[in-house]
Parts: sequence; structure tokens; C-alpha cells
Amino acid sequence: MPTIDFPKQDLETLIGHTFTLEELDKWILLAKGEIKDYEPATDTLKIELQDTNRPDLWCTEGIARQIRTKLDEKLLPYSFFKPAKKTLDQIKVGHGLHVIRQYIGGFKATGYTLSDRGLAQLIQTQEKLADIFGRKRKSVSIGIYRLDPIQFPVTYTIADPDTVRFTPLGFDEPMTLTEILECHPKGIEYKSTLIGQDGKQHCPLLTDANGTILSFPPIINSREIGEVQVGDKNLFVEVTGTDLRMVLHAINILAANFADRKAKIDSIEVLYPAPTEFGKSIHVPYDCGSEIEVPQEIINATLGNSLTLNEGKQALIEYGYQVKSHVKTLYVKQPPYRDDLMHPVDAIEDIAISTGYNAFSTALPSEFTVGSLSQSEIISDKVRELMIGFGFQEILSNILSSQEDLAIRMNLPTTDIIEVDNVMSLTYSCVRQWIIPSLLRVEAASSHSFYPHCLFEAGEIVQPDPNTESGTRTLNAIGALLAHPNANFSEIHSYVDLLFYTLGLSYKVKPTTHPSFIDGRVGQLTLNQEPCGLLGELHPQVLDNWQITMPCTIFELRLDALQADNI
Amino acid sequence: MTQKESSPLEEHQLSSLHPLEVAILSDLHKQSPTSEADLAAHTGLDPAQVSMSIGWMQAKQYITITSEVLTKVVSLTSVGTKFSEEGSLLERIFTGATEAKQQGGLLTMKTLQETLGLQASDLSGPIGALKTEGSLQIGPGGVLEPTSPVSELTSTLRMLIEDIAHGPASYDTRPDTERKIIDTFSQRRGRSQEPFRVDEHITRSFALTDAGQAIATNVMTTGVKEGYAQLTPEILKDGSWRTRAPRPYNIALRPPRITAGKKHPYRSFLDKVKTTLVSMGFEEMRGPIVESEFWNMDTLYMPQFHPARDIHDVYFVKSPAYSEPIPEPYVSRVSQTHRDGWTTGSRGWRYSFNEQQTRRLVLRSQGTAVSSRTLASQPKIPGKYFSMARCFRYDQIDATHATDFFQTEGIVLGNTINFQTLLGLLSLFAKEMAQTTKVKFAPAYFPFTEPSVELHVEHPKLGWMELGGAGLLRPEVTHPLGIKVPVIAWGLGLDRMAMIALGIHDIRDLFTANLDLIRQQPMPF
Repeated sequence: MPTIDFPKQDLETLIGHTFTLEELDKWILLAKGEIKDYEPATDTLKIELQDTNRPDLWCTEGIARQIRTKLDEKLLPYSFFKPAKKTLDQIKVGHGLHVIRQYIGGFKATGYTLSDRGLAQLIQTQEKLADIFGRKRKSVSIGIYRLDPIQFPVTYTIADPDTVRFTPLGFDEPMTLTEILECHPKGIEYKSTLIGQDGKQHCPLLTDANGTILSFPPIINSREIGEVQVGDKNLFVEVTGTDLRMVLHAINILAANFADRKAKIDSIEVLYPAPTEFGKSIHVPYDCGSEIEVPQEIINATLGNSLTLNEGKQALIEYGYQVKSHVKTLYVKQPPYRDDLMHPVDAIEDIAISTGYNAFSTALPSEFTVGSLSQSEIISDKVRELMIGFGFQEILSNILSSQEDLAIRMNLPTTDIIEVDNVMSLTYSCVRQWIIPSLLRVEAASSHSFYPHCLFEAGEIVQPDPNTESGTRTLNAIGALLAHPNANFSEIHSYVDLLFYTLGLSYKVKPTTHPSFIDGRVGQLTLNQEPCGLLGELHPQVLDNWQITMPCTIFELRLDALQADNI
Repeated sequence: MTQKESSPLEEHQLSSLHPLEVAILSDLHKQSPTSEADLAAHTGLDPAQVSMSIGWMQAKQYITITSEVLTKVVSLTSVGTKFSEEGSLLERIFTGATEAKQQGGLLTMKTLQETLGLQASDLSGPIGALKTEGSLQIGPGGVLEPTSPVSELTSTLRMLIEDIAHGPASYDTRPDTERKIIDTFSQRRGRSQEPFRVDEHITRSFALTDAGQAIATNVMTTGVKEGYAQLTPEILKDGSWRTRAPRPYNIALRPPRITAGKKHPYRSFLDKVKTTLVSMGFEEMRGPIVESEFWNMDTLYMPQFHPARDIHDVYFVKSPAYSEPIPEPYVSRVSQTHRDGWTTGSRGWRYSFNEQQTRRLVLRSQGTAVSSRTLASQPKIPGKYFSMARCFRYDQIDATHATDFFQTEGIVLGNTINFQTLLGLLSLFAKEMAQTTKVKFAPAYFPFTEPSVELHVEHPKLGWMELGGAGLLRPEVTHPLGIKVPVIAWGLGLDRMAMIALGIHDIRDLFTANLDLIRQQPMPF
């Protein structure tokens, strides 16, 4: 979820209205925003935006536009989204870009002086769009230039990285593209975006009619014309990327933002070497949204008959939509700076947001249902209740653990443990395959706590099982541990015996060997000839591995094995 | 019998006297003041018993301290005991150097360290002391050379060690010179390898107060009826309880600690939530911890390029890495829904769905994975379901981030489900889980719900807080799984409430390994 900072006053200027913080708290809901902080000294608001599908809202202009549209009861015209009649300046796209980032869009913003605040917001918007929406410039990146030195048409091509040279932002000397990728911080950071679908590196380049280099997208702008400063009046904005709709979406957001700051937007014609989804020539900004039908029946089913069709229509218009209505159906189109209308329910949510969630009356789901616990939980609860009655303290642990705790300290091989691939910390890199290590973790940390220690934990474990869809099985198990100077097999056996007796189950103890236990003092528990657990005295080597200096006896039991009618 | 009748208070005071107290009172009645040591000698009681009963009677104001004399006692440390057998370091260095000189050889620091097995830093103290005394000097090359045939200091130290080896001895009565040597070679902070330790002992003498005098006189004249300490089967059987009274206890004392069987405090909180949900008509559902991306994300209409799906958010399983092929018709429907919306009425995410990636195994990252499996298993309609699922996130662990945690979430299916019943259900959660009717709803975003809502409540103690998130499942989620009725999906964030109730500030303490903390945590819910 993006978080952005901006001066409260900037927002108010863009809306044309001032707000108290309390008022803003409510109005910001229109943008799915939440005020995280306000710093009165610098007038800085920190806002978190919830909707990852609404990049138009990740900037002051976008939030202001959503609120202003509601206050004005309709959206500004933004006439530059309509196809231009006159001849436009051009960007020509060369061959060979289809393997790397073949799409580009751009526009000219003039008649507006870039202010301190405007520049700060522009940089923030550029970063949020390129980082989050553009996946760290991989699918979308943005370049902004001083317009006046540029001679159109601009050409977008693939360049030879070793012969082409220019002075990048932040450096004083001309460098080749290869040198930029090796030395420039942005080159190092974004080099990986240049690997194309063919697995090779390609270097896109933007030059003007005079052959002057504008930038090396998506890496870095030229210092000569790509260094935008406070006071600049006329700008050229371009977006390159791997997905045409995303490129156009980003361009449309930026164009609306500049228009909101009173700049005049002039479209650019982009000429592709081959036809795209929207033709060979595209006038950018370009409205690629389409109208969808929202039948009243779906609105009613979703919102519960709370609005008339006309109220729904009005709510959408006040939220920026273009809406027509005809025979119990709304025909709705999102503004061009949005691209999140996948299904009528998306428009219906916007009706609800525009109306205000807290304006809806509420009703309880009225259909009768019977509550119940799963069979596993019923068994687990029963056993937990008994263990507590037997005097055991319940423990609750992380399920993630380590090879060290689950196997090595237990004298066990490290096979048969489910490990994570992307390890963050070795301490939490494996899923426990039994409960006992979780209890030993507590015992090892609690020698100062007065004895005896009678501990148990009931919970989930995961074991490999080739017969299941995932090759693993999540099981419910219980482990119990006794630690005190006289802890021995017969004592823990008494508890096991009492547990099974109380549950009405007849079990057997079979002699077995297990590396975690003392030979001759470990038994396998079976129910109907099926193994279901273990009990015994832990091996001194295991205790030593855990640095435990108190004898410990344990039992562990698979709770799923206790499925019986009488529990 | 005396002439004077005992008052009822004195009767009680008398009968509540412990036998130890009677012994001490009797002795003090004979001779007062008396020192603690003398009391032990006269009564034949153990010093600890004397000290304990003196404590009791000071509390009852029967006896008072008449004098406190501070005496110092010197004793050997374990190092001292070793020195008494092997000789002190001082002695070994001095004799070593002397013998070496007599044999025409040289004792260097280096050979000394090797023979004694000690560090140079351990030797600097004793060598310094010999140098100061003028019996040793360090020549070129670290050669230790005796400058006197005898070392007075070494001899005195040896005498003292031998003397004190018999047992703790008086410090105060020794001459100045000896006291100085004892001071020099006493253990203290930063000097753990010294032979002596000096302890301060307090000798206290006691006398009876007026009240004590009265009670002692009473004890002497009337005697004490010996009360029994513990009612026993024998006393009950032989009926002697009819003629003998039990001695009253001091019931103000703290009781001894016992271990007890108890629920884990956090588990106890979760149990309460579970019971509340069942009482609201929710049926529990469960699902596996190791889950395919299909059930964990794809069925929930999270596109495969969604940022919350990458290696910085989700734990991937090393082996097995992939599940068996996902059963039909679900995989085809979900795949097509992502691509172009299938028949759900959606345009889809417009990308080509990767059917290999959908089988990638992860550790369940959201409880909603359990709901998606339930939806695909012919759930009841109308139906209400919940799960308290252990979920896993790739996160740096700190006071507010856990690597695995419980998520309480669920679904409600039925023909009466819509946005208004969603808000109604959330209001009910506010009342049942946070005991409040003050709620606010905020628009929210989840990939699988539309509309989506965040529930804010004014908790009676914690103030405004976010209690959960919910929404109506998108048709892109329900239709491919064969569900044709509207479905609410909801999740509650209860950990903050749990932590406040348990009085902990660090989320890691929910799963603490500290048994004392688990035993002592209150469970006020």
C-alpha cells in the first residue's frame, strides 16, 4: 500500500476548499485513504492509500480530484483525452523494441510554471508510479524534460551501447551506455530491466530530430534537457513500458495531474512500425476505457435495494464516471486515468463509496445456521481439557522452527522436514514435524522457573506424504513433557494410560528404538495396530544438546488417530 | 491455677504460640538480654530455628533488640584452600626464584607462566607485592631475581592461611600488620583469585518487651497447652480432637507456590473467540499449512504478478516445490477467469495465466485460502464458516511482526447476503468481539472482494481501532468455484486486543518460551 506525503495546503488549493483534519478524515475515504500523520510545523500530511489498483490516487492531484469531483458533482472536462483534430508532434518508434519495452507515450505540458511544491509532488508521483505500478521501472517508467530544446519528431530506438554517448544526470562527462550501466547508480540499480524476452540486453534510446539524446529509458535522462528545475515553464513528459495499456494509463494520470495544476496539455502522435491493439498511430493521451453495462438488478442484489437507479447514476457521476441510463441499466465509463473496471461490481463499489458507507442502513444476515467445531478441534479441546486437569501447563509456539531444533538437537537426521526455499532467518526456516522440540525450547529457557515442569502443547505439525496433492500432510498432534529431578518412564506412562482410559480407547505400548530417547526406555504407542505416538525418557545427549540439566520424559500423540465416535 | 484470670486476648496469644516461641520466651524469661548464639546454646535449637522464631516474636512485639555488635570474620576462599595445599602464588614465585638462583639458573616470567599455567596478568599482583616488599626484582629479559634470602610477607601470608584453614576466625582481634595482609589478599570486586574473604557478622542480643514479659510470665506460670499442628487420621480416629485444640496458624503468611495445569493465556483468548463464533452460528473449517498458490492466491483472484505474491512476502516450500496438478474444472475456470473473465461477467486481468506457477507450494499466507477450499467443497447454503488458521509471512521479526500467526476469518453464504447485511454482520462482530456499538465503515481494498470495507470500532478501553476487513467476494472468485450465491468474506484482527488483555507489548511474547511469564500471565477474559 503506497504512502505519500504532501502539504495540506497543496491539497486544499487543488480542491479549492479548506478542511479541518476531522473533515479531511471523512473526505479522504472517497480516495480509500487514511491519514497516518499530520505535522503542523511543515503542514505535511502523510496519507496511506489502500487501493493498489488505483495508481491515479497515489498523488495529491488524484486525491484532490476525487474529492473535488464530489464537491463539484461532476468531473472536469479534460478535453485533451478526446481525439485531436490538428496535426501533432510525433514520436517515431523504431524496429526491434518488441523484445524489450516497445511502448511509449508522451505529451507536452505548457503555460504553467513548475513550483517548488509542484516539482516535489511530480518527483513523488513519478517514483510511486515507476516503483509500485511500474514494478521498479520494469513495466513502466517515466521521463520528464524541458520542452524548449527538443526538436520533434522524437525517435525511440534501440542503440549501440558502446558508441552512443551522452552526459547523464548526476555526472559531468559524456559516457557510453555501457559505462552508464557499469558506473551510474541508476545504471547499476535498473540494469536488469534491459534483459529482453530473448534473454539478451537491449538499450532503448530517445533522441530528437537533431540527434540530441533525451534519455536512456528506463535508466537515466540526459543532463542537458532531462534536468527539470523549479521555474521551468514548458515540459515534455514520456512514459515507456512493456504493456500498452499500462503505458497509456500512466500517461493519462500524469496528463490529468498537470491539467489540475493549470498546465495546457498538447497531445503527441506515436507512430509504431506495426499495428498495436489501438492501431499503428496513437494520439496520446489516449482514452482506452470502454463502457460497460451495470444492470439495476445487480446493483440491487449487491447493495440491497437501498438506492434508485437515478441515485446510483448520480453517485457515479459524482465519482468521475460518465453514465447513461436506459431501461433499468446504467452504461458506465470510467475516467481515462483509471483502469480498474473489470466487472459491474467495481462500479457498484464506487456507487457505495460515493454515497458513503456510513450512510447505508445495516441489516443482520437473517438465515439460520448451526455453529459447530471441526472434529479435529473437538478432539483437541477434549485432550487439552484433560491435560490441564492432569496438572499440565499449556504452551503455544511458533510452527516455524529450524533444522537445528527439529532434528540436529534431537539426534535425528534432517530429512523429512519441510523447509522454506526463501529463508529469512535460519531460526524460522522449517515447519515443525513434531511438537516435542517446541516444548524443549520452553524447557531450555526456563530452568529458573520452579519445578516440576509439566508442559503440553496441542497444535499443527507438517509431515511429508507423497500420497497427497501437496506431497505433505498437516496433522494435529499433542506433545507433553515432564521435567523434574525424578522424572521417569513410569510417571509419563501413567499420564498416557489415564488419557487413553478417559477417552475410552485401548492402546498398546510396543518397545522401539528412537535416536532421541534412551534405549529400552522408549515405546511406540499404537491404536488398533496403527502407530500413533511415542513415549519415553529423552536421551542425555539430546538434553545436553539443548543445554537442559533436568531429566525429561515425554509423550507425543497424533490427535487425528483418536477419531472415535465417543469423543 | 493463678488467682488472676487470663483475659480472652491473652488466652488466644498463649494458645497461638509455636513450641519454638515457647522455648525462646522461657529462656529470655530466665536471662535477658541474651544473644542469638546463647539462645541457641541454652535451648538446644538450631540457629535457623532460633532466628525464625525471633522474627515471629519481633513481629508480635514480644521481644526487642538490645544491642547489635558488628564483627568481622575472615575465612579461606576456594583459592585459599588451594594455597594451603600448594602454597600461595607469592610463595611459589619467591621459592621458585630462590631455588633457581641457588642452582645457578634464572627464573623468567615466561617459564613461570608455563610452570604455573597462568597468564601474565595473574602474576603481576603477587610479583608487584614482592617487589614492593623489596624481596624480588625483575631484571632484563623478564628474569625474576630474589633480592633478599627471606620474604617476611610470604611467611606471614603462609602463617595466616594455615591458621585460618582451621575455620573462620576473628579479624578484629588480629594485629594491624596481619589485618593489612588479609585486606590485601581478600576477595572483592575484580579480585576473585584471592585466598581470603572477610564477612561482617552481626551479633544481636534480645530482651523481652512488656508484652513479652507478660506472656512469658503467663507461659511460666500456667504453662502452654500443647496444640496439635496438623489434624491427622489418628486424631480423628481416636477422638482426641475432642480434648486437644489445634494451634492457630499465622494465616497472613504468603502461601508456598504450587504448579498448576492451566490453559496458555493467548490460547485461552483464542478459545473465547472460537466459542463466540460458534455461538453466532459459524461452523469451523480447516485447511492445510502447505498450500498451492492456486488455493492460496489464484482462486482469490490475485493476479500472478501481484506484488504480495513474490518472494519478499510469501514463504515458498523447498521440497516438494509443486503440488500435483490442480483438479478440474477448477484450474481451467480460474485460469480463464484471470485471462479474460470466463463467464463471470468480468474482463479478467488480461494476462496469460501460468499453470506451472499455480502449482507452486507455499506456506499458507492468508486464512482466506481455507475459505477458498471450503467454497470448492459444496458448502452449505445458507452457511456461515470460520477458521483460526496459522498463517506465515516473509517478514523481519520484531515487536509488531511475527513470522507465523493466527488469522481469524471466514465466509457467509446465502441469498440474503448483500452490502447491508455485510455491514450488519460487522456491527455484530463489533458488539461480540469488542463490546461496542460504536462503529465506522471505511472503503478498503482486497483483491478478492468488491465492495470491500474496513471495520473501525470504538473499544471501551482501547479507543478507536481497526477490528477487521471484509467484503462481498467477487464473482471472479465465487463462480469458478461453483458458488452462485453472494458471499461475505471477513477477517478479524484480534491480536492487539489479545496483547492488551494479556498485558504484553511485544507480539513475540504471544509465543514466549519463558515459562515464568506463561505461568504468571493473568487471563482477564
